[in-house]
Amino acid sequence: MAFEHELPGLSTPGRVTPDVIAPGHTFESVTERISAIILTKRTPIGWFVGFGIAFVFLLLFNVTVGHLLLTGIGIWGNNIPVGWAFDIINFVWWIGIGHAGTLISAILLLFRQQWRTSINRFAEAMTLFAVACAAMFPLLHTGRPWLAAYWLLPYPNTMNLWPQFRSPLIWDVFAVTTYFTVSLLFWFTGLVPDMATLRDRAQSRAARVAFGVLSLGWRGSARHWQRYETAYLLLAGISTPLVLSVHSVVSFDFAVSVLPGWHTTIFPPYFVAGAIYSGFAMVMTLAVPLRKFYGLEDFITMRHIHNMTKVMLVTGMIVAYGYANEAFFAWYSANPYESFMMYNRMAGPYAVFYWALIGINALMIQLFWFRRVRENVALLFVLSLFVNVGMWLERFIIIVTSLHRDFLPSSWDMYAPTRWDFAMFTGTIGLFLSLFFLFIRFLPAIAIFEMRTIVPEARLQTGEHG
Amino acid sequence: MADPRPDTLFAPAADVDLARSRALRAAAVGLAACAIGFVIDRDHFYRAWLIAYLLFLGIALGSMGLLMIQHLSGGAWGVFRRIFEASSRTLPLLALLFLPIVLGMGTLYSWTHADRVQADEVLRHKAAYLNTGFFLLRAFVYFAGWILIAWTMTRWSRRQDEGDMSVNLRLQYLAGGGIVFYTFAATFAGIDWVMSINPHWFSTLFGFMFIGGHGLAALSFTIVVSTFLVRRAPMEHVLRPSHFHDLGKLSLAFVMLWAYFNFSQYMLVYAANLVEEVPYFIARISHGWQYLALFLVLFQFAVPFLLLLQRDLKRMPYRLVWVSLALLVVRYVDLFMLVSPEFAPTGANLHLLAGEPESRLFVHWLDLAAPLAIGGLWLWMFFTQLAQRPLVAFADPYLRDALETTGGH
Repeated sequence: MAFEHELPGLSTPGRVTPDVIAPGHTFESVTERISAIILTKRTPIGWFVGFGIAFVFLLLFNVTVGHLLLTGIGIWGNNIPVGWAFDIINFVWWIGIGHAGTLISAILLLFRQQWRTSINRFAEAMTLFAVACAAMFPLLHTGRPWLAAYWLLPYPNTMNLWPQFRSPLIWDVFAVTTYFTVSLLFWFTGLVPDMATLRDRAQSRAARVAFGVLSLGWRGSARHWQRYETAYLLLAGISTPLVLSVHSVVSFDFAVSVLPGWHTTIFPPYFVAGAIYSGFAMVMTLAVPLRKFYGLEDFITMRHIHNMTKVMLVTGMIVAYGYANEAFFAWYSANPYESFMMYNRMAGPYAVFYWALIGINALMIQLFWFRRVRENVALLFVLSLFVNVGMWLERFIIIVTSLHRDFLPSSWDMYAPTRWDFAMFTGTIGLFLSLFFLFIRFLPAIAIFEMRTIVPEARLQTGEHG
Repeated sequence: MADPRPDTLFAPAADVDLARSRALRAAAVGLAACAIGFVIDRDHFYRAWLIAYLLFLGIALGSMGLLMIQHLSGGAWGVFRRIFEASSRTLPLLALLFLPIVLGMGTLYSWTHADRVQADEVLRHKAAYLNTGFFLLRAFVYFAGWILIAWTMTRWSRRQDEGDMSVNLRLQYLAGGGIVFYTFAATFAGIDWVMSINPHWFSTLFGFMFIGGHGLAALSFTIVVSTFLVRRAPMEHVLRPSHFHDLGKLSLAFVMLWAYFNFSQYMLVYAANLVEEVPYFIARISHGWQYLALFLVLFQFAVPFLLLLQRDLKRMPYRLVWVSLALLVVRYVDLFMLVSPEFAPTGANLHLLAGEPESRLFVHWLDLAAPLAIGGLWLWMFFTQLAQRPLVAFADPYLRDALETTGGH
């Protein structure tokens, strides 16, 4: 611009923000650094330790499922009036966690946010694994999951049995299966060029064949890239509404009912915000050890940490707004059942959990306003664990407090999870972490070719791109 | 040519003054009509004034919200900052224009009548919140907070123009706190000024819908003003298709958000079918109001959604501006729909009438006069503010990104 030298703003950057990739990297160094994690012959001992611990919990999961199928869902603590407890709490918790992956891969791509590049791949993998863990709960809650096909899916069968289409639970089946399918396609499409890179660099025959098959004959020609870019952008477009729709439908599971604490119109956006909030907390929980252990600080930089914290702050504030809103309207509604529901949350037998979740999701997150906190990676790791706990407690409070004391005091009862409830929950965490450990060992946890597009060399070749 | 200073380089075009005087003439006509309405049909005057007021308040508050988001996100859309700032600086005028609503409280809000409150258990319960004194105190707090935020932000923005870069960080802090205040204040303002017209009804989503409406109105207005400016120096050298493209995409997002909120609220209330909630919608899908509801579904969602999906349209200001103008009209219809079905065709508040009266679709001539009066005054104030400063916030630390945004979209 002709007047460029005139403008004080143009020569005075606001805050010096760290870049999305550390200086000094080239195409070669990026490729080498990321593919070495997979193509190395020696698996680090720490990986075995981590995977081993996760695997123990996966075994616990298997034992629990075996016991459940042999005995029945009576091994869980839920019973009338609390007919829905850990099974739905954990379902919502896991589904919510998946949302960060979709937001990072789809929405941040459409907004051309460069900082998505190094975290999108493992966040997408996290989405898939989280959805898989989530699916375990409703499936196993049927008690006989091999019969779930005609309970959940509308297929013409000789018994003339159809699911209840007016039930949000059946909407959930469609929402979650769509979500899983699109996320899987999106993830795999993004992996194809990297599979080819690994195929070309692999030393062992087994790895060459495996990556060769998965790369679908990718040669990196201009036509391949053109088709790839089109497909990726289309999938991003398809995924974007899913960020909102999946958790909105999950919130309908509750809001369509007439139960105080469940039936409230703010639920859809409030659930979506909570999902993204807890999802980013889980990305943080995974990213901090990952970058430390594999020395990936050059790729997952402080810029990523800062931005993830800011997303957590914004979505966490929306969740806190939801809490304030619910409390105000419980009074404003002038409905004695609504106000009792809120009183029971705040001062009933589960009040300690309510105040714990308020302490975490409304008060603790205020720390994220401070730059000093956003720069302290170890502290952020701990805080992200708290957010995971806080969002789990939120679902616990919503689900249990509304059920255990309903309209009729004579039917009130307390709910307590059994050891099998905990075994199944920690078992899915084991499943999740086992899958994640396998993923970082055998697939590129950071998109190699996308990282190559943000090294300074790429800018020299293609010119700066807004 | 000698190097001009940026503040003279970006001086507003002379015909901003013309726009000002035209707005003032429109206001004079509107105000005269409103004065007649005030004398002969006071009930309708208050109702129409409230609806028109909410439209322009929404533009001003939405602009302030976008301004704060921009300071926080550092987005590359700093070219619109002066429009947002001028729009936020109309808030003192809006505080003044709130006075007729204070005068009309007795007509608009049935909970101001002690006998009504005594006769109604729900209103007795709500009296701790819905009472005249507290209502006025809250309104004072909202306006004081909003005006303080708008004024401080624009004052620091001027310091930035003068080369004081120390304000950059403080602007971010203020925007952070400001957006929290704005969100809560706008939520409660929505409850006070709109939801409490029907004092029995409540919906927890209402605050989000109110704020989403502000965002859509502000974006549409910004596109309209930018199209006006892009034909004139100096903005014809600054605004590019990519800038309009960004605003168009945000408009599309807010159109979808409007549909999402309204569908969620309607579906949940419809499915639960509770006696406390569902009358609100029954009133709006019968007695002629259903046509207006259908109109909103088509023109606040379906049509703009399909139009705004098109890339070319978003990049051509002269086409995009028609969508934005239409959206401003539809915003007004939406606010009309929020308020009017709670009133009888005579203009009386249904909740003040005896028995169980029903509303029938009506439009009153004051529904045209009130937006003319408030809109004229508001635009006069807006252009007055816009003319006082360079049209580009040339010291914005992210302006380089904004100006370099090319192609690629």
